[in-house]
Amino acid sequence: MSTSSIDDKDITRELWQSRLPICFILSDEDMSKVNRSESPEPLYLMLSRHSYFPCIIEKIFRYYSTYYKGNLNDQTNSINLNNLWLEYESIPLKWHYPIGLLYDLYTSSLSSSSSVSHLPWQIIVHLSKFPENELIRFPDIESIEAHYMTTLKEADALKHKGQIIGDMQKRDHKQLWNSLLQDKYEAFWNINIKLMSYTDNLQYFRYIPFRIYILDKPFMQKLFSPYDIEQNKWMTLYDLLQYTLNHEVQCEKLANEKKILNNNIENYRVIIHGVQPPLHSPIQWLSEYFSYPDNFLHICLIENQMR
Amino acid sequence: MSTIESDKTESKTVNFDETNLSPTRPSGDSENDGKIVFLLKAAGGAPILKKKKWALPRSKTIGHIVEFLKKYMQLDVEQQKQLFLYVNQTFAPAFDTTIGAVNDCFNSEGILVLHYTFTPAWG
Repeated sequence: MSTSSIDDKDITRELWQSRLPICFILSDEDMSKVNRSESPEPLYLMLSRHSYFPCIIEKIFRYYSTYYKGNLNDQTNSINLNNLWLEYESIPLKWHYPIGLLYDLYTSSLSSSSSVSHLPWQIIVHLSKFPENELIRFPDIESIEAHYMTTLKEADALKHKGQIIGDMQKRDHKQLWNSLLQDKYEAFWNINIKLMSYTDNLQYFRYIPFRIYILDKPFMQKLFSPYDIEQNKWMTLYDLLQYTLNHEVQCEKLANEKKILNNNIENYRVIIHGVQPPLHSPIQWLSEYFSYPDNFLHICLIENQMR
Repeated sequence: MSTIESDKTESKTVNFDETNLSPTRPSGDSENDGKIVFLLKAAGGAPILKKKKWALPRSKTIGHIVEFLKKYMQLDVEQQKQLFLYVNQTFAPAFDTTIGAVNDCFNSEGILVLHYTFTPAWG
């Protein structure tokens, strides 16, 4: 794409550096089991939008565990790291979704007014009663690393039939993950740039890795090419959204679903990384510069509230 | 990326009593009443299923299939711990991914092929 490479690089750096201030508050239930005279103060952390909660779970646990000296892993209390989970407005937060995605999806969807500031993001920490049926456990950092790598492989399968990630050395894979953990932008992009190249004599990705999230629905993912050969034109974010919503509606009708999705784009705010990109943005450009470190575009559609 | 070759001499075909999942239609259409047709293939020495072709509604998740397989194959406690489901012999989608989303992107001529293993065969 013929855009200024200096400006575009600035954007990837801005995204890398974007943070969310989060306030972790212990649940009332677990608060009652504290065995020190003073209750825990809320824990404030600035976290990367593109990181994952399991990356700092040990830090959260260490902070609260000092208030439970003596009854950690006590069977009767079941206070332990394995049972730690996070909640926002009664919603258990999925471990394997990037932090920024969770914030954009839930705070925008659940507010009655878009002008209310949701910062710092207030999250409830639970140390017991893990909701087995609603959350998948991520017991350690290796499992979130495995999830990150498999997502990256899926993205490359869509973009390049898996050729680029398949040809990479294992140490390159490691470098991607470690740079993400250690917040090293240059080290990350030294490898990630390879995943942004083109193969098969194309001037674009074969298909765009993207997922569309609407509150209370499983995410939507489709095959979508960034370039229309017949019409000789670049596809936009609007084209991708319209295609996905229409396709999903067709699937719902075929399955005789009672409630059919609203496929009118005007009905939604479109949010990626906390901003509303212009709908006429070329999707190839967005995929190269606006993807998360897992190489996916995670797109939130927030239904406009009736006023 | 390393792959594990199926151990052809060791694989056993197992008979199961088929209940929970719907039988496939003879028409071979990829979507019957919106159902996704998929093939389950063994890898990494996992036992081969007698019935390989299945159909499920789009909204069912990968996790649902894994839990079903664990019961269906009557796995022992050790095997039950880890069952992996791979797409394209490359990646293992998160358990809350719908089979509809996977099918939309990775079906081959209307059929989705999934490989199941007890070990992370493809990373």
